[in-house]
Amino acid sequence: MLIRLIVPGEIARVEDLNTSLEAVLTRHGIDAGVRGDVRLIVEELASNAIEYGGGGGADRGQHELSVDIGMDGDLLTLRFRDEGAPFDPLSAQTPDLEADILDRPIGGLGLYLIRQIAESMHYERTDDCNLLRVSLRVPTPENPQ
Amino acid sequence: MSLQTEFPPVAGSLRIGIVPLAGGSLRVTLAGRLDTHSYQELDAALAPLVHGQLQSLVLDLADLEYISSAGIRSIFKARKALGGHGGKVLLVNPQAQIQKVLDVVKAVPMHEIFVSTAEADAYLDAMQRKVLHADEDEDE
Repeated sequence: MLIRLIVPGEIARVEDLNTSLEAVLTRHGIDAGVRGDVRLIVEELASNAIEYGGGGGADRGQHELSVDIGMDGDLLTLRFRDEGAPFDPLSAQTPDLEADILDRPIGGLGLYLIRQIAESMHYERTDDCNLLRVSLRVPTPENPQ
Repeated sequence: MSLQTEFPPVAGSLRIGIVPLAGGSLRVTLAGRLDTHSYQELDAALAPLVHGQLQSLVLDLADLEYISSAGIRSIFKARKALGGHGGKVLLVNPQAQIQKVLDVVKAVPMHEIFVSTAEADAYLDAMQRKVLHADEDEDE
C-alpha cells in the first residue's frame, strides 16, 4: 500500500484527500492521465458518500471516509471505506445519456463516469461499512494505453 | 471569532476570465479545476451573462486542467440558459482529461467542441453571416 488517508465526511475535505493522493502518485512517477482519473474517482465517490450516505444523521454522528491506494503490477487500486448508509454504486442505474443532463438524477453522472474509466470495481457491505474497490490500469512502456 | 482549520480553504482552484467579443458573443476563459468545490463560482459568474441577447458563449478551456460531473452540470446549465433563446455554448481547446470526460458522458455534440479558438471564431463568423443573410431574406 502506498498510503491510507482518513478524513471527516465533509465536502471541503475531499480536496485534502486529492491533494495528498496526487502528491503520492506524483512521487511514484504515475503519469498525469492516471492522476486525473484518480482525482475524478475520489471526488465523485467521496462526494456521493457524503451527500447520500446519511452521515449527517444524529444517530450516526460524524462519519469518516477512508481511502487507501496501492499498486500491484500495472494495476493501481483504490479502496474506499465509509460508515454511511448502505449504498452499492455498482447497482446505480445507467443514466440516459440522450436525456437532458440537468434532468438526470444528481450523482448518476459521476458514478457512470467512474464505471467507464475503471478497469474493475467491487463492492461489499461489511461491519456496517461500505467497502468499494476500484482498479485502474496504469500504462507501462511495454503496454502503453 | 474565527475558527482555525487544519487545512487551507479550497476556494480559488478555479480562475475565470470574461472577454466580450463582437456580435453578441462572450469568451469566458477557465483555468484550474472545475469541480464540486468550484462549480458554484462558475454558475455565479455566468448567471448574469447568459440571458437575453447573448448568442454565443465561448468557453476557452485551454488552461482548465480538470473537470468532474459537477463541472459538466455547470456547463449544461449555461447551455440550457442560452438555448432558451437560441444561443449556443462552444467549448474550445479542451485538454486530455476534459476531452475524456466529455467523450464518456456524450455531454456535447462534437461539432460544438473546437480544438482552437481560431476554429471557433470561424464558426461564429459563419453563424453571424447566416443570421445576417436570414435578416436579408426576410426583407425580400
